[in-house]
Amino acid sequence: MKRIIIKEEECDGCKNCSLACMQAHRTNSGTLYDLNLTDLANESRNFILAVDSGYAPLFCRHCDEPECVRACISGAMTKDPESGIVSYDEEVCAKCFMCVMSCSFGILKPDRATSQKVVKCDFCAQDGYDPSCVKSCPKKAILIEEVTA
Amino acid sequence: MKHVIIGTGAAGISAAKTIRILNSNDEIVMLSADSIINSRSMLHKYISGERDSASLRFVSADFFDANNISWLTRKVTSIDTASKQVLTDAEPISYDRLLIATGANSSTPPIGALQTAVNVFGLRHFTDAESIKRASERAEKFVIIGAGLVGLDAAYALIEQGKRDITIVEMGDRILPVNLDPQAAASYQDLFEKMGCKFLLGARVTDTVTSGDVVTGISLESGEILDCDLVIVATGTRPAIEFLADSNIAFERAITVDENLRTSVPDVYAAGDVTGLSGIWPNAVNQGEIAGRNMCGDNAVYEDSFAMKNTINFFGLLTLSVGKTVPEEDDVVLIREDRRNYKKLILTGDTISGVILQGDISQSGFWQHMVKNKISIAGKNPWKLSYADFYSTKENGEFAWKTG
Repeated sequence: MKRIIIKEEECDGCKNCSLACMQAHRTNSGTLYDLNLTDLANESRNFILAVDSGYAPLFCRHCDEPECVRACISGAMTKDPESGIVSYDEEVCAKCFMCVMSCSFGILKPDRATSQKVVKCDFCAQDGYDPSCVKSCPKKAILIEEVTA
Repeated sequence: MKHVIIGTGAAGISAAKTIRILNSNDEIVMLSADSIINSRSMLHKYISGERDSASLRFVSADFFDANNISWLTRKVTSIDTASKQVLTDAEPISYDRLLIATGANSSTPPIGALQTAVNVFGLRHFTDAESIKRASERAEKFVIIGAGLVGLDAAYALIEQGKRDITIVEMGDRILPVNLDPQAAASYQDLFEKMGCKFLLGARVTDTVTSGDVVTGISLESGEILDCDLVIVATGTRPAIEFLADSNIAFERAITVDENLRTSVPDVYAAGDVTGLSGIWPNAVNQGEIAGRNMCGDNAVYEDSFAMKNTINFFGLLTLSVGKTVPEEDDVVLIREDRRNYKKLILTGDTISGVILQGDISQSGFWQHMVKNKISIAGKNPWKLSYADFYSTKENGEFAWKTG
């Protein structure tokens, strides 16, 4: 499977990846220059936190044994055996948020605007599984690599 | 190799998936009493009308075909472990490996006519949800006994139907006593009361008033009698093991299993609520995986048994609860509140032993790991903790926890 590999020592915390994620998942069309950064509907799926040693880039790992899938009572959270991608289906979701509780790395969250769906990395499925965050990183701190599951 | 799995809930389905991944050629037969695959945690959404029987499924519609699994609607009557056969209301079914994942049934206390009346229901199976939905159409006055998650799920469903005359009787001093502390519970009580629900806390049901085989009133210890057309009992569950009575599979209240989820009889395994190990969905799924692996010859151990965890969502108010909800002696309690949030941390020494987050539960999954693994927070500000404090990546790019 492909995974976004993180080289945290290369990250300088510019958050271009977060902006790219917001742009990729915005609800209306437009360019990065007119992206409404304060619209709660435009949330990033990745998070860059400052730590003592630099930055901790927090990206969904599409885990080999995803706890979010294990916790899902509705079948909304599934891992594709071929691509390895863990996908979320808002239509199927029962809004119980057991997945949020079960993600040991604290990546998943309810959406801020309504608290009635889960905000999660979809590997930019809408762009042919070509993640925007990776393309936007000026430091090449995140890159796509083939890994063995 | 022929695997027979009794039960199509979280544990049974997860075991079947696991076996199919490990062995593409083994025969898998699944048996269920319900003719509909359904997620028990969503049954109230059928009563409310939010979901139909198809959308109660938690696997795809073609799950059995796609995984080459035979699914039979059978009621299991007994297990003959000597001849390795499951006896059913139809034909006997032979097995090489057997998994018992029958879950639990609601347990109705032997008070008055609660166990026999036609308008008293538990909420555990699809048939319960169907019965409640049908009977509630003609009912106006509802009494729910038990203000745990199942009782409140039922109340929520009735409110969604437009019902308003709903009284909830709870023995404890607050609603959701297992999951929440008094303050977090009060927020939900307030929301339910705004929708017309009435709560009687610290109240005990002592008897019923009947007319023929119908309960028309619930008598309380206080002397009060609650008029009712329909009663839902949500006071707890009992592992579904009635068919084991004359088998040699060991059980007490639940089926006895070892750390590999093997029962006392070779080639017979148990997983999910029937083991009494945990009543939480993800744990049942995990147990199904462990049992499934061992049915294929592995020696996997059920380790991740932490079960003091839940999330709650009523009327859009979200809560995460992990670990203890009220402090013990020598614990330190930290609380932060604002208009929209209530956050409480219970510290035991330099570890976190309990977390309640009500309101914003974004990115809170790391708390379960912290509490479950008693991770030291020495020298750290508890309010600023996140997984970033323990950040580490593995060779394959997955995250790991760096502690100590």
